[in-house]
This record gives sequence, structure tokens and C-alpha cells, in this order.
Amino acid sequence: MKPTLKTFAVAACFLIFAAGSGARERVPPQTYGRVIIGNHSAGAGLAPVVFDHWLHRARYTCRLCHVDIGFSMKAGATNITAATNRQGFHCGACHDGKRRYDGKIIFASCTESPVGKEALCDRCHAWRKNIAHENDFKAFAEKLPKDVFGNGISWEAAEKSGQVRPLDFLEGVSLKRPALKAQKDVSIEANVTWISDVVFSHKKHAVWNGCEVCHPDIFPIKRGEKKYTMLEIDEGEYCGVCHGKVAFPLASCEKCHTRPTF
Amino acid sequence: MRKKIAYCVFILAAAAALVCSVAVFPDNAFRSAGIACAQDDWKAEFEDICFRTDDSLSLTNEELRRLVSRCDALKPRIEKLDETERKVFLQRLRMCRDLFAFVLESQEKK
Repeated sequence: MKPTLKTFAVAACFLIFAAGSGARERVPPQTYGRVIIGNHSAGAGLAPVVFDHWLHRARYTCRLCHVDIGFSMKAGATNITAATNRQGFHCGACHDGKRRYDGKIIFASCTESPVGKEALCDRCHAWRKNIAHENDFKAFAEKLPKDVFGNGISWEAAEKSGQVRPLDFLEGVSLKRPALKAQKDVSIEANVTWISDVVFSHKKHAVWNGCEVCHPDIFPIKRGEKKYTMLEIDEGEYCGVCHGKVAFPLASCEKCHTRPTF
Repeated sequence: MRKKIAYCVFILAAAAALVCSVAVFPDNAFRSAGIACAQDDWKAEFEDICFRTDDSLSLTNEELRRLVSRCDALKPRIEKLDETERKVFLQRLRMCRDLFAFVLESQEKK
């Protein structure tokens, strides 16, 4: 089949789109997925909180935070306060000064202790402050499988190889669920001929998200009922709720469009 | 006969003491125990419903319908909780309910 003028025009549009997405998303790897939370910080005389997804997703699944603890998928929508943290909700669900990760106590969030208060608050309220953090991104990332975009880490490969083992259960917060049954992969046909179809793996996504992170809030439609467009996804709908913000960005076309064309 | 009367008086007195102590001392142990029991009650129901999300696809339509109804019945009880707990658990309950309803609708369409 000879490529037509229309095919070239669509391909050109796609390249411009991909280049645009790539350029927009090329933030330094350590800041990809960073969320600045400042709903109440200024009122308390503190800098906004800098939340790095890479550090937390290396340890916990998306579901643990966005379902079990109840963090909204929209930045700033959770309405976290020092009081809610102290009551053991939101950040305080883990950051309570008692829970441990890898044998180490997780520091308490929003403590009222006057001793070294400034230094304690700065661990999270770090926006535009030059704070040396205990967890160094470079040291963390150098051991993990590489990727081109996003954090520069292939999280999928890291999870598959066991280098990253995100916990999906938090005592006293999470529910003891039965083992998740893997669903079949879903093939999503591309509308154009110059890029392969998408093979959506339920298994890969369910490891991090379970079912309820995606259904029905992000994907309320049933299979085949909706034609997704890259423009909608680029605007943060459907796959774009995570991809382009925390999960690998849209410039990594080949990660989704994987169906062999020959 | 006198023994029976004495026994009844003792039971009545004990019951009256229990009622008075709950009414007079609002923060006493009886009341706290009652609240703790009620709290456990909604939480146990919440856990019993929402732990089924991961195997929702293997549930029958009837089971799914029952779970959706239980979510609806539990909602007013969670709405009585304190602000943050209410917000967190209403959101969690909504996610469970919506997933069950979504799976049910998908299965009914098949």
C-alpha cells in the first residue's frame, strides 16, 4: 500500500505533537512526578510541600495512597492539613513516627515538638529551599533499569525484576484483599496505519492500581464503546491522568503502541 | 417468695444503676465502649464490603447488586463520622460502590 498525502499529513501532525509533548515533559528526571502542595502552608508560615512521586512509588503502590489512604488524583484536592496528618490521616497514615519501612522508623509529619521545628518541617515544606534530602534520587536511580523519558527509570522493568517491590498493604489502613485475578490484555485499534495498535495490559496496571483506581473514575466506559484520542489523553484524560504526570510520558509512543504490525 | 422478690429488686437496682451511670457520666466507660462498638460496627461492614473489589469480576450479578445495596446502606452511617474520617471513608466507599456498579453494568450488557 502506497502512503498517501493524507498519511504523511497525519504523520507530520503526530511528530509535531510528540515533539511538543516531549519538550513539555522534559523536566529533570528527579522532578518528574513532583507535586507542590500549598493549600494551607502559607497560612502556617511555611513553604509549600514538595512531594516526589518517585520516592513513594518505589515503596508503595498507587492504590495504597490513592484508595486506601484517600489521596486525590488531582493535585491539591485532598485538603491535607497538619491536623489531619496528626490524626493519622493523609501523610500521617505512614508518617506517624511509629511505622517502619525497611526497618527504619518513618518520621512523623507535622509534629508539634518545638525542638528543631524548622528542620523537621523543612523535610516536606521544602519548596524553593535548598534542602539536602536523605533519599538521593541519583543514588536510587543508578541501580535501576533505565528509560528515556520521565524519571529515566523503567518502573515496569524494575518491578518485574524485583528491584522495586511496592507494598500494597498498610496495617490498620488497607483491607486484606484476596489475590487479584489477572485480566486479559485489551487491544485498542489505532485509527491510522503508520502506528501500531495499543496492547493494554491489565496485569501490568493492576499491580500498581488494583481495579478501583481506574474503574470507573478514569475509565467509565466499557470496552470498545469509546474512541480515545491522543489530544484527550494529552489534556490529562483517560491514560493521561497518570501518563505524562507520574507514569511514563506520552512521548514514549512505543510503550503502548506495541502490537506487531507484521 | 421473699427470696424471689429480693432477687427482682436486685436486678432492677442493677439496671437502674447502669442507666443512671450512662446518663450522669456522659464520658464514662459504658458510653465509650458503646461508641467503640458502633465504630467497629461500621468499619467491619465497610471492610466486609470493600475487600471484594479485587475479585469483583468473579461475583455474580446478584452478589454485586447486594454489595451495591450494602454500600448505599452504609453511607449514612459514615456520614455521621468526624470530618476527615468521613471524607476519607466516603471516598473509599464510593470507589467500591462505583466499581461494583460498573462491573454489574458490564456483565448485564454482555
